Amino acid sequence: MRSMDGIAWAGSAMVAARTRLEIATANLANVSTDGFARVVAQGRMTPEGVSVLRQRDTAGHGPMRRTGRDLDLAIVGPGAFEVSSGGTRSATRAGSFARERDGTLSDPQGRKLLAGARAVRVPEDARIDERGRVLDGEGAVIARIPLPAGSTIRSGFLESASVDAIHEMIDVMSAERSFESAQKVVSSIDKTREKSATDVARVK
Amino acid sequence: MDRALFAAASGMAAQQQNLDTIADDLANTDVAGFKGSSQRFAELAAAGEPGLGTVALGAHLLMTQGKLAKSGGPFDVAIDGPGFFAVVDAAGRRAYTRDGEFQRAADGTLRNANGLRLDGVRVPADALSLQVADDGTVRAAFAASTRTVGRIRIAVFPAPDRLRSTGGALFAATPEAGRLRLVVPGSENGPKLRFGMLERSNVSIIEAMMQILSAQRAYEANAKGVQAADEMLRIANNLQRG
Repeated sequence: MRSMDGIAWAGSAMVAARTRLEIATANLANVSTDGFARVVAQGRMTPEGVSVLRQRDTAGHGPMRRTGRDLDLAIVGPGAFEVSSGGTRSATRAGSFARERDGTLSDPQGRKLLAGARAVRVPEDARIDERGRVLDGEGAVIARIPLPAGSTIRSGFLESASVDAIHEMIDVMSAERSFESAQKVVSSIDKTREKSATDVARVK
Repeated sequence: MDRALFAAASGMAAQQQNLDTIADDLANTDVAGFKGSSQRFAELAAAGEPGLGTVALGAHLLMTQGKLAKSGGPFDVAIDGPGFFAVVDAAGRRAYTRDGEFQRAADGTLRNANGLRLDGVRVPADALSLQVADDGTVRAAFAASTRTVGRIRIAVFPAPDRLRSTGGALFAATPEAGRLRLVVPGSENGPKLRFGMLERSNVSIIEAMMQILSAQRAYEANAKGVQAADEMLRIANNLQRG
């Protein structure tokens, strides 16, 4: 373990403040991104100084927005849609899907909605009920979108980003100020050292 | 800091595109049959690392029904339900529209404001008035009789929101929109024709104004993020001077 002096501590505080600004600006940038879960900064004291971890806030959900499109799906409660693109699976709460010619449902980024291991394939008049069941025109169940117990799907709605612009602006401001204060600390320690390096020698 | 600058700048660029889309919607609120669209965004992330910013994915058409309103035009017709009027331009290319504000042209065709001809109808020169029945049959009244002069069929696409907007209320077919079906209007559960009415644009001015406000504020907030990142860089550069 390397031992930390004052400048190193203040330096780590500057890096932490920078990370907080990065997190706040990235959250702000995604204020209109459907299904976006904000990232929260988690500060910790470590023997190497202050460190800030990026943590996705999956507990808080964004507000629901009505769109009226049948294939816009929002999850009420926890859970996420499994999507895949080129073999890469990911999870998203942005449920804006469109039916492709081959019957698969793809999101705006071209990722296919999965039900279990396979992509969902639906006929033209399919709909999705609140329990996540994919029904064809006659009401027969074709597939089932896996959901955690207690969660439901609302068709015709999308979940907006869980970003609160006010909160993030305050984070931007306070990150800027803590960066500034840490810089002052670095400067004053530097000045003290300058004194000891130049004035002490002059005293005699 | 570069990362914060980039993230904030990506937010500004995305909101700029968002504003363009809303402005286009607002500009067309008075166009009959116009369909609004909404910009969609995705988070930029590299290999599981969040926080790189955002990207606008493009405008997505919203094919919801506009309000039907009585109109004064003698050849106005609106579609209640899904589908489009098939219209043909001078070069024979097909386009699709829900704008049913037609005018009688000198050659007897019914043409919309863009000069595109409604497929399947020709009105003789001596016809006095026109009547469109629920099943799309167009009957013209003459001095002594009435006669069928054409039939309007409705073009239905499986995925109409994947059509390509070609300006105003006109759309072009795309492979993604699926195979076109020509439907006789008036059937149960199917689209219906409303003669003497027009479909208003489905853009709600109030909603669009609200979207403009929030897009503007989001743009501003991101601009502040750029400023803050810049300020931090300035402070960092002042470290040396003390």
